[in-house]
Amino acid sequence: MSILEIKDLRAGIAGREILRGVNLTIAPGEVHAIMGPNGSGKSTLAQVLAGRDTYAVTGGEVRLNGRDLLDLSPEERACEGLFLAFQYPVEIPGVSTSYFLKAALNAVRKYHGEPELDAMDFLKLMKQKMKLLDMDASFLSRAVNEGFSGGEKKRNEILQMAVLDPKLAILDETDSGLDIDALRIVAGGVNSLRGSDRGILVVTHYQRLLNYIVPDYVHVLRDGQIIKSGDKNLALELEARGYGWLEEPTAVH
Amino acid sequence: MTRLMSNASYLQNLLATGPNSSTLGPDWLQVRREEARQQWLRAGLPANTDEQWRFTDLSFLAETSFSTGCSAAARAAEARPTGLDGAELVLINGKFNAQASRLPPAPVRVAFLAQASGAELATFEKLLGAQARPAHHGMIALNTANMSDVVLVEVPGGVAVERPLSLIVHSVGTEPFATYPRILLKVGDNSSMTVVLNFTGPDDLTYLTNSVLETYVGAGSRVELVKIQREGTAALHIGSDYAHLAKDVRFQSLSLNQGGLLVRNNVTVTLAGPGCEATLNGLSMTAGRQHVDNHTMLDHAREHCESHELYKSLLAGRSSGTFTGKILVRPGSQKTDAKQTSKAVLLSGQASMNSQPQLEIYADDVKCTHGSTNGPLDEEQLFYLRARGLAYNQARAMLTGAFAADVLARVWQPEVRGTLEDLVVVELHRLEREEF
Repeated sequence: MSILEIKDLRAGIAGREILRGVNLTIAPGEVHAIMGPNGSGKSTLAQVLAGRDTYAVTGGEVRLNGRDLLDLSPEERACEGLFLAFQYPVEIPGVSTSYFLKAALNAVRKYHGEPELDAMDFLKLMKQKMKLLDMDASFLSRAVNEGFSGGEKKRNEILQMAVLDPKLAILDETDSGLDIDALRIVAGGVNSLRGSDRGILVVTHYQRLLNYIVPDYVHVLRDGQIIKSGDKNLALELEARGYGWLEEPTAVH
Repeated sequence: MTRLMSNASYLQNLLATGPNSSTLGPDWLQVRREEARQQWLRAGLPANTDEQWRFTDLSFLAETSFSTGCSAAARAAEARPTGLDGAELVLINGKFNAQASRLPPAPVRVAFLAQASGAELATFEKLLGAQARPAHHGMIALNTANMSDVVLVEVPGGVAVERPLSLIVHSVGTEPFATYPRILLKVGDNSSMTVVLNFTGPDDLTYLTNSVLETYVGAGSRVELVKIQREGTAALHIGSDYAHLAKDVRFQSLSLNQGGLLVRNNVTVTLAGPGCEATLNGLSMTAGRQHVDNHTMLDHAREHCESHELYKSLLAGRSSGTFTGKILVRPGSQKTDAKQTSKAVLLSGQASMNSQPQLEIYADDVKCTHGSTNGPLDEEQLFYLRARGLAYNQARAMLTGAFAADVLARVWQPEVRGTLEDLVVVELHRLEREEF
């Protein structure tokens, strides 16, 4: 069974359709990349999958491990194993990273009928995961994303992913705002989480990230539809030629 | 101040809710009471046509017939203390209840006007009403006319009082009634202490707590006042708290508002000597039709003083709040640094908040800033938390808890801080239940 199955997904905001029939299937172990120019609907797709209610879904179907996703609240989707690494992680003053992450992890565990982790076990888990991302222990006591650099925010997203251990991870423009060292660390973290039972969807404008997180499949999203799919070489071609050359097939059509 | 009603029977009615003690006590006290009585009959209730009372309508006070509360001694057991260890003075309807109280160890002294004599009486004469003048507004006049006793807590110079001192101010009655607690706090030079005032009373009953506190802080001292207002659900609470800071004083107050239906906190601080630092904090959590009006006045009377204000409100249901921050920088008060912040989270579409700074600056080398933000919980933050698996209510509670946390973190005395945090957690659940 596929981890994610999107069929003819249509969604928009304020009566304007942004996703105009998206089809995509991700099998366990696969890494897919969605590329596309600005305004093509990449981030909308990521947000709609995570359950952001500012977008209205107007048609189509999404299944996560066979379960209808569109009926679920954002928290239920997270508990079912969907994880969105945000393009712009929000700052939450007054809530420490460890308090937040412990609450999140225990919410997911509770959902699956597992016992909550106590403080000691949680700390042990955190230390192990933070090593993966070369993060200092002081992260835990800092308020969520508050005053974090761009790189720290993105590392924090991947840390959360590592802790919550999702079935499907969606990385929304995770490379934006990262210098090359931070990019390596973040990509290394993601790669360590690749596995035979996990699906990863990388949403990105630039090919650069895909040098580090090498995808099995690359899709081009344009005007709310996937207009071309291929392997990692498609990304290299897009890098070399831009998105313009893809217009011709649509024009013929 | 304007009289609210031409038919002034309520003036007499409220005057009659005090003890019949006009002929008791020393001459100066009788004179002051009589002056206050006359002032009350002239001024009456502050009307909301008065700019300083614009957002708080007291007219229902004029429409309710009040009595005096129950006999104080019999009902002391009802008082709900804070659970803090240490000295605890229990006032029932403004009167000290010795049995329910734990007096502070020496050298802190507690005295009562009704029993005072000699030097002690002279202290009362000197301090009582020196800040809280009946002419300020009708509620001061009414308190002065009607106070049943006055409590004086006195800390001599050079004493660091480690344990917090609690004043449990409890109102008791079975039909609409009014009480007039009156407290003096005098801290000598180079001393420190934390005082907690805890206001409680019966639910579902209209009653008035009209309380006045005058604090005098000596040079180099460090004083913290924490007011926990958790009056009954139908109560009207008007607190007028004054503090006079001598020189190089660090003073901090926190006003935690949970209870009451109509609440007005007047906080007036005079930075009377150079080098003082005053910090006024507030946290209000309201639901239903509660209204909390925080009205502060910082009188920068001398140079090189700092003041900080942080007032936060969490408003659910149809509740409303007001913050007015008046800052007066008198001529010559150079190098004044005054910062004022008011923040409100509106947990429902029907809740409302008004914030208004009132700056009067008569010196040229000063820094005065103010800012206010009112709005719902941040949708982006909520979504972020939910996207990590936290249920909607849990996510909201995490955000409201964080909103309240930084006010509580400012409290100096660690045990008091812990007590407040516990109270706030319970209160946040109340708001979650009632917010829609």
